[in-house]
Amino acid sequence: MIKSTFSKTIAAGAGLAAFLGSAAAQQPTPDGIGFQGAATPIAEEVHYFHNVVLMPVITFISLFVLALLIWIVIRYNKKSNPVPQQFSHNTLIEVLWTGIPILILLYISLFSFDRLYKEDVIPDGKARIYAAQGTDYAFANDFNEGRQIKRKGHVEVFAIGANNKVVELDESAYTLSGLGEETVVVSLTEAPAAGSRIRIVGGRSRAGVEPFLGLFGEDRSEIITAPTITIKAVGRQWGWDYSYPDFGDFEFSANILPEAEAKASGQPWLLAATENIVLPEGEVVRVITTATDVIHSWAMPAFAVKIDAVPGRLNETWFKAPKAGMYYGQCSEICGKDHAYMPIALKVVPRAEFETWVDSQRDLAGMDPLFSDETRLAAAE
Amino acid sequence: MADHQTATYSSDIAHGDASHEEHTPPFFKRWFWSTNHKDIGTLYLIFAILAGVIGGAMSGLMRAELMNPGVTFLTGFTDQSLPVAAQLDAAKNFYNVLITYHGLIMIFFMVMPALIGGFGNWFVPIMIGAPDMAFPRMNNISFWLYGASAALLTLSMFAPGYGDQLGFGGGWVMYPPMSVSGSPGPAMDLLIVSLHLAGASSILGAINFITTIFNMRAPGMTLHKMPLFAWSVLITAFLLVLSLPVLAGAITMLLTDRMFSTSFFNPAEGGDPILYQHLFWFFGHPEVYILILPGFGIISHIVSTFSKKPIFGYLGMAYAMVAIGFVGFIVWAHHMYTVGLSVDMKAYFVAATMVIAVPTGVKIFSWIATMWGGSIEFKTPMLWAVGFIFLFTVGGVTGVVLANAGIDHVLHDTYYVVAHFHYVLSLGAVFAIFAGWYYWFEKMFGIKYSEFWGALHFWVMFIGVNVIFFPQHFLGLQGMPRRYIDYPDAFALWNQVSTWGYAITLVAMAIFLIAMADAFLRRRKATVTENGWGNPWGEGATTLEWTLPSPPPFHQFNELPKMK
Repeated sequence: MIKSTFSKTIAAGAGLAAFLGSAAAQQPTPDGIGFQGAATPIAEEVHYFHNVVLMPVITFISLFVLALLIWIVIRYNKKSNPVPQQFSHNTLIEVLWTGIPILILLYISLFSFDRLYKEDVIPDGKARIYAAQGTDYAFANDFNEGRQIKRKGHVEVFAIGANNKVVELDESAYTLSGLGEETVVVSLTEAPAAGSRIRIVGGRSRAGVEPFLGLFGEDRSEIITAPTITIKAVGRQWGWDYSYPDFGDFEFSANILPEAEAKASGQPWLLAATENIVLPEGEVVRVITTATDVIHSWAMPAFAVKIDAVPGRLNETWFKAPKAGMYYGQCSEICGKDHAYMPIALKVVPRAEFETWVDSQRDLAGMDPLFSDETRLAAAE
Repeated sequence: MADHQTATYSSDIAHGDASHEEHTPPFFKRWFWSTNHKDIGTLYLIFAILAGVIGGAMSGLMRAELMNPGVTFLTGFTDQSLPVAAQLDAAKNFYNVLITYHGLIMIFFMVMPALIGGFGNWFVPIMIGAPDMAFPRMNNISFWLYGASAALLTLSMFAPGYGDQLGFGGGWVMYPPMSVSGSPGPAMDLLIVSLHLAGASSILGAINFITTIFNMRAPGMTLHKMPLFAWSVLITAFLLVLSLPVLAGAITMLLTDRMFSTSFFNPAEGGDPILYQHLFWFFGHPEVYILILPGFGIISHIVSTFSKKPIFGYLGMAYAMVAIGFVGFIVWAHHMYTVGLSVDMKAYFVAATMVIAVPTGVKIFSWIATMWGGSIEFKTPMLWAVGFIFLFTVGGVTGVVLANAGIDHVLHDTYYVVAHFHYVLSLGAVFAIFAGWYYWFEKMFGIKYSEFWGALHFWVMFIGVNVIFFPQHFLGLQGMPRRYIDYPDAFALWNQVSTWGYAITLVAMAIFLIAMADAFLRRRKATVTENGWGNPWGEGATTLEWTLPSPPPFHQFNELPKMK
């Protein structure tokens, strides 16, 4: 009973969170009072941490102090209480107001460090696809020391139907053997249909909102694979230069899109750039940043990502590219006169469109296409 | 001679009759060669008020510019004969100069001189029963170094910074390379020398306070009986002595990088810009406690006085400040969560930073417990004190949010941070300054302020600053970066509200000036109690300054008070 009331409270908190972080996911909401909508599993977790864990705590503390002050004003003013008491110690209450804040901080830290490590450690999950053949599928447990698959939660199994429809298999639909050993074998209880494929994702990198303290609430977390794409962002006064080292290291510059052009293209002025970073939906992206002159900062609020671009240093972070759409950020470290005029515009597209874009960029750089028509067609299916 | 008198301090006790009375020096000698702690305190307060007016006017320019999207206002301050594009560039540079000097002026030239130089000089010697500071002439040079520092800072604003733009526009933190290759003109050099002088001044002042408090307490006043304001200044002085040399080192390295081709922070020659950030924030974090700790002391006295109750948990209050001061030295990198620190290092700084909430909570709750059961008179200083407690709590809890690196990755360098530190400083430290100002006004100047104008000042300012800064939380959560002259239309509403808040605050400052004009023109006589004490606040005011007339004699305590 208590648990259900509590979970309702949490659900209400999450509802408020949804209100605070309104629906338009990609850019600031006019007159908004909360976060921009979360576009990645990490951003969802960060928002959950803020809206469900921290906001109730800090609101309660502020209102509690306010209530005490109001009570003091009413009860202990000169008229209501002409004779002041003279106590100046109370050991019990002093222990309480030292101890309870420590407990509150411990409660916060249950969420805080988890988020921090998920955000900062580049994920190392691996996804492998197998043609359907019997019930047993061997998955090499070839992770770095301390990162091997050891529990059921380290593995996710998907069935890809002949129509390319992906369905995650319930945990009861397979058993695992060889956990913690060199090879983990996934044994399906039922052999999949001929012509379908099996996708196994393994690893300990997990992101996305999990049940509240593991007790109740929806589990939207997933195993995150190692980045498949790296983009390099180089800050300069005043714009960004990007390169894609995985695809021939082609480069392009992104400056602010002039106001008239931004409006003409239906994009928000000060957020739209002359060139977009283009990325494929759903893939894990590594961002590395540096700068050529002064310090800049590459920020993408909807992804909960902000990483400084420092001359002489190479910083890295990651995100999982969200669903197709435009996402905007702005330079977040003062860098001189046009600090407010070096936007970051990021366009997420389906994989096929991404490949077309990559080849067009390679073409501009005088390189041959990387993706043949066949691969492009296969991906488009 | 004042200095002579200090030198013969011990013999004064021997023939401590009050025969050699007031011999106030002539005007120039009194105010320019001043060695009297109260006169120097007054000078610091005047200095702080002037700096506050300038720093406040700068925020007015910023808020006026941010009232509407687009660069609409600051172009009016540029050379109108220039082409439009050049005017726009000058306006953008001017905005960055405004944010930089607003921060530096408010921190170094308003809050520090007001709390430490002003109230510290005025009341620490009196509260501990000392005739003056330990080193009166060093006290004088501390003040005039501040004057020189302010002069250089002003010059720096009008010296070339970048290209033909004037002033340094890289933010008060002065990160390289913005402060080296990003701003090659003399503006930055003048700024560095200005901060060197301000730092030297503060170090001398801090040494003076430490020596005074350790050696010149009245007989019987052990450290554990010393008033909390003296405690707060003692701790602040230690923070100054330990942190300012690190800033001095960092900005000297900036200077040699700029002038002599060293490369401490130049990556092209093996240096590291992040090293500067570590050094800066090793100073910078204790600095924010330097700004607020004396305020804590003031609030404790006011709360106790107007509740007519002793301070609840006096020792806990004193050692909470010691704890805050100590922990303040080991949390600096929480200002640097996005620079690319290792994750384990961030985890340490998250944990250490959150610890600060515990002693701070002890202070908040102890103030509430001091009021609990009291018979409270809500005179003007008490209004400011109660306002301080609530607003500092609000600023404190957003600090707990920001302490979490996982969330700071989103909020770092956004308006959420601006809102947070203005709640603890603009609404915390500044409220403490006004609380102290009204609390000691009659004591310092021997005249009464008007409760009506004082209370009106409080209420209008309370509303004004909240309207300025509360909506900035929304802007920050929505992702508006700080130090931006222009913003996407989506941020327009809350920026506009914030600027209206500034207008309300401006009215509050006008009311403050009226309150002061009223007090100084009407010159209502200060309260004198039956036993000859200048104590307007009654039984709750128990510290030594209330046993003296208002204003206190030029030299107090010719006969040292004895503590029970």
